[in-house]
Amino acid sequence: MSEPGAYAWANPWFRWSVVWLVVLTALCVLVGFVWLPSVHGDFTAQGLWASICRAAGVPAKWSATGAAKSGSTSTNVVLERVMARPGAQDSIGRGATLALNCTMCHGAQGMSRSDAPNLAGQYPEVVIKQLHDYKTGKRESAIMVALAANLSDAEIRDLAAYYAYLPKARTAPTTYDEALPALVRVGDPLRNIAPCIACHGGVDQKLGAPWLEGMPKEYLVGQLTAFQTGTRRNDSEAQMRNMVRAMTPKEIDEVAAFYAGKAPATQAR
Amino acid sequence: MFLARNLVLAHFWVAFIAFLGAILLGEWQMFVRSPLSAWVNNPEHYYRSVTAHGTVMAYVLPTLVAMGFGYAITELSLKKPLLGMRWAWGGFWLVVAGTALAAATIGAGKASVLYTFYPPMLASPLYYLGVVLVVVGSWIWVALMSINLRAWRRDNPGVAVPLAMFGNVAGAYLWAWTSVGAAVEVLVLILPASLGLTDTINAGLARVFFSWTLHAVVYFWLMPAYIAFYTLVPRAIGGRLYSDAMGRIAFVLFLVFSMPIGIHHLFADPQVGAGFKFVHAAMTAMVSVPTLLTVFTIVASVEIAGRLRGGKGALGWVKALPWDNPMMLAVTFSFVMLGLGGAGGLINMSYQLNETVHNTQWVTGHFHLIFAGAIVIMYFMVAYELWPQLTGCAPFSQQLVKVQLWLWFVGMLVLSLPWHLVGLLGMPRRMAYYDYTDPALHPQAWTVSVSTLGGLLLVVSAVLLVYILATARRSSMAPAPFTFSISAHPAGHTPALLNGFALWVTMMIALTLVNYAFPIVQIASLKEASVPVIPIGSR
Repeated sequence: MSEPGAYAWANPWFRWSVVWLVVLTALCVLVGFVWLPSVHGDFTAQGLWASICRAAGVPAKWSATGAAKSGSTSTNVVLERVMARPGAQDSIGRGATLALNCTMCHGAQGMSRSDAPNLAGQYPEVVIKQLHDYKTGKRESAIMVALAANLSDAEIRDLAAYYAYLPKARTAPTTYDEALPALVRVGDPLRNIAPCIACHGGVDQKLGAPWLEGMPKEYLVGQLTAFQTGTRRNDSEAQMRNMVRAMTPKEIDEVAAFYAGKAPATQAR
Repeated sequence: MFLARNLVLAHFWVAFIAFLGAILLGEWQMFVRSPLSAWVNNPEHYYRSVTAHGTVMAYVLPTLVAMGFGYAITELSLKKPLLGMRWAWGGFWLVVAGTALAAATIGAGKASVLYTFYPPMLASPLYYLGVVLVVVGSWIWVALMSINLRAWRRDNPGVAVPLAMFGNVAGAYLWAWTSVGAAVEVLVLILPASLGLTDTINAGLARVFFSWTLHAVVYFWLMPAYIAFYTLVPRAIGGRLYSDAMGRIAFVLFLVFSMPIGIHHLFADPQVGAGFKFVHAAMTAMVSVPTLLTVFTIVASVEIAGRLRGGKGALGWVKALPWDNPMMLAVTFSFVMLGLGGAGGLINMSYQLNETVHNTQWVTGHFHLIFAGAIVIMYFMVAYELWPQLTGCAPFSQQLVKVQLWLWFVGMLVLSLPWHLVGLLGMPRRMAYYDYTDPALHPQAWTVSVSTLGGLLLVVSAVLLVYILATARRSSMAPAPFTFSISAHPAGHTPALLNGFALWVTMMIALTLVNYAFPIVQIASLKEASVPVIPIGSR
């Protein structure tokens, strides 16, 4: 290291090391950015500079027409984590007042005595998303569309905060063994059906996936069937429609019975 | 004259105990997804296990072995006491504390993100802090290696640095620069999101930063094995090192070329330009050069041993080799696995061929053969070589050591060759279960059972390793002084550039900037690249 001139151009070791590295790098860049793209129609259509930019990952234009993708969207709501935060006390209070409108179907404490869904303990972003979807007509229901039409964004947040504040119904066991339906525990990989507990709590609870335990069975069967037939389509990226499409009526009944928790264990198997 | 005994011993013990735990998890994973077991009802447990197995095997084991071996090399090759012993212990305890913190978080189910982190999935901040502590502990080692070399140079002006120390410091510098990628990813992108300061993360950018670390880290794992090839193998089998300079060239080539090639892990990532993918693929091919040089040099050194033992003719020297010597066995096994794994690696690094095996069991097979096979088997040999120095024990039962090596070799092939086969058939990796009742998968079921059996052999081998090391009997005689290989041309002149690192470290940094600066700046400036985070186990 202390040898004089080790780092001088006159030292052949130094000279050749630097020259070789520079030549090698330049060659790689030439091949990767100029030569290889030159044999690709996609890359060369707009000239040399455009093809170099494209190879670098920054095409001048991303698509030929430049037009934004159009078509029907399943929902206008973009789920954000901020929606999942617990509401402030005053928000919960306002929500409780507004919720008096909902008690007829969803129960005085958010536990339905009819076949309307329970809302007690429901995750706030779920309530927010569904109310917005009713409001914009993305989810259909003669009653709910009319009720949601006049709610402001702030009122929707308050309602969500109130229902999230109420205690959840719990019916499912906290450990998962073979006694539970297979679709709930492990899904069916070769039919592309993910396990219910991967999103709806158990293994993981994904943003926007509702709390299902204790829901009325009729409601669950109705919604799964609606997803299957496509009459309900407000799930973004068709998440639920893709899950249910391959399920048989018997399987729909099984998983609904499990989450409703009302059927005896032998039937839930 | 070996003052760092306890320090080195502590590193090796923690490494091997963690290794034993992680290998049991690996075998459990293999078992539950084989047809021998029912499907795991909570796949989260499987991913928890994968995270722990990967974190220990990829960070804890190799880092501790490299650190411990590095401290040993410093004293044994420079023949002077280690400077900064207290700092070294500090680094060790940081690694231990980090490992414990990460392990506890994984165990609690708050960090099932796999050791490659995978943003936008987020673990508890404690997991990342644990990993950061491990890395910071290893940075202390990097600094100490540099300081010790500098002090030795000052006292020995103009003398060539011993090859073992040269490789050791090359590995340290490589690690220092390599770990910067993951460190930036964790400190700048992941931790703020994990602490709840932001709701989104630039996942593409995080992956590019991780790729900076992900490939070169392999060469950091590999350094101790290569140092053993060059400086322990020829001596242990009674040969001479064919070329000292070739060893130095291999080490500096690793330094220059192992860094700027990580984007070959991102071939399927749309946010990186095809031009950069090609450049990284081409430079990945370059990194096979030091390995080929090493294989040539070590085979030549082994041939010297064969001829010194009276072997004649074109192949007669092979028969004359000391086949009953564990080191001979280990280096042979290591090269066989390196050859198979390296051939598979050429397919992974090829931009187009990669498409056929991307994210399949092929990849798992590849890195198990190279790392867990070729490299880790040399870690065992390093431990066996150092143990008499560290504990004052008598030489080990050669028979037991050979059984352990055979089990590891056969087990690793039985584990990983079926993975290669089903990888080609498209079996995805990182699956907690497969539906073998389906006619499409049924014919592949037996391969998973075979791999489980291979894994079992590995577990037995690992237990045997720990047994051999733990039951080493103290000998009344002082161990023979430790020596490294003698070069076949001991008086050979070492070119000044191959005795220092300035040029190579400059090249390493320059090439990294050329290959990474643009993709990083470009993706960092894309507003649309930020995606919502997915905290694991938060609800």
